[in-house]
Amino acid sequence: MSKLLDLRKQLDNKEISSVELTKGYLKTISEKNDKLNAFITVTEELALKGAEEADRRIAEGETAPLLGIPLAIKDNICIKNERTTCASKILENFKPTYNATVIEKLNMDGAVYLGKTNMDEFAMGGSSQTTYFNKPVNPYGKNCVPGGSSGGSAIAVAADMCPAALGSDTGGSVRQPAAFCGVTGMKPTYGTVSRYGLVAFASSLDQIGPIAESAEDCGLILNAISGKDAHDQTSRNVKIDFNGLVGQDIKGLKIGIPKEFFGEGIDEEVKDAVMKAVDFYRNAGCEIIEVSMPTLKYAVSAYYLLACAEASSNLARFDGVRYGFRADGAETYEELIRMTRSQGFGEEVKRRILLGTYALSSGYYDAYYKKALAVRQQFKREYNEIFEKCDVMLTPTAPTVAYKINENVDDPVKMYLADICTVTANIGGVPAINTTCGFNKDGMPIGLSLTAKQFDDARAIQFADFFEKNFKK
Amino acid sequence: MNYDVVVGLEIHAELSTNTKAFCTCSADFGADPNTHICPVCTGQPGALPIINHGAVEYAIRAGLTFDCDINRYTKFERKNYFYPDLPKAYQISQLDLPICVNGKVELSTGTVVRINNIHLEEDAGKLFHDDFYGQSLADYNRCSVPLIEIVTEPDMHSAEEAVEFVSKIGLYLKYLNVCDAKMQEGSIRADVNISIKEKGSEKLGNRTEIKNLNSFRSIQRAIEYEVKRQSEILDNGGTVVQETRKFDDTMGTTSSMRSKENANDYRYFPEPDIMSIVFTEEDIEEARRNIPLLPHQRVDKYINEYGLTDEDARVLTLEKYLSDFYDETVAIYPQYKNVSNLFQTEIMRRVKDTEEEVVPISAEGFAKVCEMTDKNIVNRNDAKTIIRIMFEEGGEPEEIAKANNFIVVEDAGETEKFIEELLDSNPDLVKQYFDGKTNMFGFFMGQTNRALRGKATPTLVRECLEKALDKRKP
Repeated sequence: MSKLLDLRKQLDNKEISSVELTKGYLKTISEKNDKLNAFITVTEELALKGAEEADRRIAEGETAPLLGIPLAIKDNICIKNERTTCASKILENFKPTYNATVIEKLNMDGAVYLGKTNMDEFAMGGSSQTTYFNKPVNPYGKNCVPGGSSGGSAIAVAADMCPAALGSDTGGSVRQPAAFCGVTGMKPTYGTVSRYGLVAFASSLDQIGPIAESAEDCGLILNAISGKDAHDQTSRNVKIDFNGLVGQDIKGLKIGIPKEFFGEGIDEEVKDAVMKAVDFYRNAGCEIIEVSMPTLKYAVSAYYLLACAEASSNLARFDGVRYGFRADGAETYEELIRMTRSQGFGEEVKRRILLGTYALSSGYYDAYYKKALAVRQQFKREYNEIFEKCDVMLTPTAPTVAYKINENVDDPVKMYLADICTVTANIGGVPAINTTCGFNKDGMPIGLSLTAKQFDDARAIQFADFFEKNFKK
Repeated sequence: MNYDVVVGLEIHAELSTNTKAFCTCSADFGADPNTHICPVCTGQPGALPIINHGAVEYAIRAGLTFDCDINRYTKFERKNYFYPDLPKAYQISQLDLPICVNGKVELSTGTVVRINNIHLEEDAGKLFHDDFYGQSLADYNRCSVPLIEIVTEPDMHSAEEAVEFVSKIGLYLKYLNVCDAKMQEGSIRADVNISIKEKGSEKLGNRTEIKNLNSFRSIQRAIEYEVKRQSEILDNGGTVVQETRKFDDTMGTTSSMRSKENANDYRYFPEPDIMSIVFTEEDIEEARRNIPLLPHQRVDKYINEYGLTDEDARVLTLEKYLSDFYDETVAIYPQYKNVSNLFQTEIMRRVKDTEEEVVPISAEGFAKVCEMTDKNIVNRNDAKTIIRIMFEEGGEPEEIAKANNFIVVEDAGETEKFIEELLDSNPDLVKQYFDGKTNMFGFFMGQTNRALRGKATPTLVRECLEKALDKRKP
């Protein structure tokens, strides 16, 4: 079941070398990427160099969970001297001078990087269609979106262009594309993985997370990339063994079902598939209880206020002065930044910067940003209450399956509302994992989410792993 | 008409920490452009700030010194604005819960200036405009160097009070070892709020804010100019426009920068990358322990423990580096009064007008000179020459004294011989002495000292002279 453990065994037993493995994935990428557009940049040279180094280390008898394993990295995570675009024109040719902490940690393990994956521009979107580059496509076909913003990473795993990938999740950007592409994706507790080197969208919500074929593989990657980081003050000094509960019995554990997540707007087929999973857990001996998150109706508004406000500040540094795209023909500094930002950012990014700027403006701060902060506190209280009653909370990951490319694009509010099932985990800072629980009549995957309390990430993985290993789809 | 002047200040003081406020780059002044930079202080995508706890401790020290309350819970905010010297396009600062609040400082006029708050923030870079090539160049070395901003209430009533306040704050920050307070290097800068109101009136007038004044002289002149300008407006029945103005150092005038309507909206919001800080009593006690003796405490010590006069104590503490040098010297050679005298006459006058704020000789060396003078190993005039040579050429005092034949070698035989000859050749003067003209003793002393310079101490000369005269007693 665990792809990464299987590859580990093959590598350690010298059944396959990391170079062979890497070349295999590079070949698949070269065959499929033109159609799927999962990758913005394929880092072939870096990958082969890493694989050779990994083979040397393996030959010397070294082993580590990810040694020699090829991975895909979302294009908002900095790899030194490799193009990191955030899928934006404004960073089209930007090469970071340093490695993100997650990359440093993966380097210690000896992981290999196949390339940088496509995404919504600056991670703003749920379809990966706001990318400045070629539009990524759901590998299940039907001309559907892969979800977003980590759409490229989800496609890459689903289409076997890599065994696992890193994404980032600000409001569902790992879990929702994982759901749309039928793979597993996890947003860990805020603060467990360092954000240093992740190009910030909304600092208080952003968290790097893995996308893989299984919950156990997500846990393996999280074990490698998590931990307190001296470069990120918001990283927490809590040691978690993410796979620590894998294989332990879930009998007698409690699953909370928040009724608000099954209301209006949730597709019937999605609801049915998720409820079948609930039945499965009940039959496995779990106690199913109803819980409530009454504030859910404010979740999307609060989320977009907080996220856009922080984004308006985080993205202000892209002014064309020090790096990235610079517009031609400006006469003054004001003109330079106006022209650079007008030409360099896409529509969705501009919309969110404007929303956030407005929400923080003098005279509006109390009505918008401050109120959103109060709602955030309320969510934390409601999560606390829920996890006093149950071990995990089970919900759909998205209201629908993957929708058609070009659907929803003219109605940003409708797009924003589709984030209803995922944003609360970011607002509350709690861990949540998506795994596939079924398919609709068109064969499109349906995802369920398991959310646990802060730092109880291993519990969410335990439940997802149990489902993956025992549910007959 | 007569007006009351109302002045408030915002003083920006660069902290003298080794590293910057939010990264580990050196915070030193004067390096080659863009050599003290990293992904964090140049706002590279993905980089995150890490708070320098040393800077926080410095801010607490300043707060305790100026009678502030220390907020037990403090947090940071982002102040958003675009400028090419500000790489992140926001400055990490504090708004809601600054580290220090509610302080006060008393001036020599008796005025008590209330401090609203002292908060920690980061400095911006520097721009150089090259008119010849039509380019602007940015140096980010200063970016993210920690600053404290000391914000007063509008409690000062004249340019002189404002200058005294800035000068006193600078002096105390230097004594605290938290800021070198060199105005010419921009490590202290002030924004000045000025308004005037009818004499005795309670109602404050519209104020103007003059930004970025970096010398005592410009603070003085800017306030004087503004008072004159605002008085003329009110005298003519006009209204002062509430606005930000800039001061032209060459012209000595102020001019409008932006009015209230065009004021920046900084869109402050809590900095999500930096966790709020909760101070324990121990944190605050540690900062308190790090506060060295302050100027007024050193004055007390000099008077009460060292027995110096009020005036000597005052003069010695006017500059921290001088007071430090004096302290170092008396720690080696604890003759407080004598050291003070030689220090004031020979050291202070030599460094008075220098900018470096260092005494270029060692305290050990100076202590040695004081000791040699006191013990008559060299005479006082030669001691001055030794110090001059140490300043100009360097070297150890004993070696300088030897090389220049300043060491007094006592030779009693030669002294007696000289005195005998002196008295023998002046019998009438000897007679006058015995006839009651006792000041002749001084004359003989002087003659001998001059002639036997470097060979006899005044004590020896006195002894021999008394003996020789005794023999001739009629």
